[in-house]
Amino acid sequence: MDTLREILTNTSHLHLLLNHIPTTAFLVALVVFVVALVNRSETLTKTSLALFFMIAAIAIATYASGSAAEAWLRGTSPTTELPANVLSDAIHEHEDAALWGTMLMALTGFFSWLALWQGRSVRKRPSWTLPLITVLSLLSFVAMSRTAYLGGHIDHVEIRPDVVARHKACLDLVDAETKHPGSVSNAPANCPWQTAVDEVVGSQAPETAYKSQARALGDFVIGHTWMWPTLETLHFVGLSLLFTAVLIVNLRLLGMMKVVPYSAVYQLLPIGMLGFAINLVTGMLFFVGIPSQYNANPVFYWKMVFVLLAGLNVTYFMLVDDTWTATAGVAAPVGPRIAAASAIFIWVAVLYCGHMLPFIGNAF
Amino acid sequence: MAFLQTIENLGFSQWVKQSGSLWAFPGILLAHTYGMAVLVGIIAAIDLRILGLMPALPLAPLQKFFPLVWIAFWVNAITGTMLLAADATTKLTNPDFGIKMAFIIVAVITQRLIQTRIFSDPEIDRRPFPSNAKMLAVMSLVCWLGAITAGRLLAYVGNPSGL
Repeated sequence: MDTLREILTNTSHLHLLLNHIPTTAFLVALVVFVVALVNRSETLTKTSLALFFMIAAIAIATYASGSAAEAWLRGTSPTTELPANVLSDAIHEHEDAALWGTMLMALTGFFSWLALWQGRSVRKRPSWTLPLITVLSLLSFVAMSRTAYLGGHIDHVEIRPDVVARHKACLDLVDAETKHPGSVSNAPANCPWQTAVDEVVGSQAPETAYKSQARALGDFVIGHTWMWPTLETLHFVGLSLLFTAVLIVNLRLLGMMKVVPYSAVYQLLPIGMLGFAINLVTGMLFFVGIPSQYNANPVFYWKMVFVLLAGLNVTYFMLVDDTWTATAGVAAPVGPRIAAASAIFIWVAVLYCGHMLPFIGNAF
Repeated sequence: MAFLQTIENLGFSQWVKQSGSLWAFPGILLAHTYGMAVLVGIIAAIDLRILGLMPALPLAPLQKFFPLVWIAFWVNAITGTMLLAADATTKLTNPDFGIKMAFIIVAVITQRLIQTRIFSDPEIDRRPFPSNAKMLAVMSLVCWLGAITAGRLLAYVGNPSGL
């Protein structure tokens, strides 16, 4: 129980737990997707698209937890030192790769959701959707694998290429000295890994060697006075669009304007998803602008939890057939009613958490 | 100005501004945000439907949402007045506040016109819209976008008060 609490509240553990999903689980989804395309199986296609969508949602939370893990490592004081063998540059390289990977995965998730939606819409799924998802999912996989590779360098500095090169150079010296004694001046007796690690760690000036792309983007966001108010306004427009779909679709399922069939209100869902997309982009720009306002903010943690629940909730609507029994004049069955009430509750909670970021948490 | 100062010095205004209670400024602003999401969200969906998106969605039954739209409007009129009272001297002298009110007045008139001109016809889903329907829908979208933008900018332009 204490272990579980430690995993869920210490964001470093949470990041190490979550980071396997955009990498390992995404590979599984990719294999399912390829098998589905080869076998032309609609069931497998839907399964893989739903997996892409949920993994994309988890990728966003993983990015946020990574930033939180960095904040936890560095501590709140600017003078706090990183643990020995952890390179600041390694964190920043990993963060930049993660930003690219998360953006590509979010795009994959967005179009996967659209493909699922199109699969149930009146018209047939357009021919461009699945090829586009194929390209985006492959790019996402490459970008996330690179992120995972660079992430390994944070904790395992001994496998960094520069450390490995130094170690190998040392071994070469020992080798040469063994073959031709006296040929190498100052030949070391042996080559501990730690020596190579220490050389690399010692040779890097803190905070200066690597230029962070995430920080450059963040500086662009906070460097222009018009930027933050514009993003906030767009965030409000996005939440209004999102709310309209949430309210009209779910209130219909709960019994309002029963004459309208579910197939008609279903057309509103892409407007809601467009609102979510606007808010994801503007939200990520807020996050990279001033990460410290969010990555150590408990209200933001809960906002991410509710966004993940919302992802599960909307996946239910994409996969389940029960909602479609609500034809003109027919009440929805109990399952969709529960899902509809949950959807309204979840989004009210997301908005509450977002609004309370500065009042309960430490933002602004 | 003295009048505005009197409003701002009311016990209620001081409570909103300075009590630090989550029910005061944060809670009232939260209600204002929920109101905005419901009001602008539903109106925008209807406007987009009039402009031709979501053709399978019948318009007439969407009238059932009008009571919800007007409840949200009055929630925001009341919470907006509360927030204004707490900050009367700065907000009421800020030209951006006048711009926001102008957008809202035109938006409300447009909404009344959409309800009386377009929705009054029980056959709206079987007949073409009146000629100015699309213009009203565009005007509605522009005005609510303008109101949100001007409202958000109240925290940034003019004479920011920290609220």
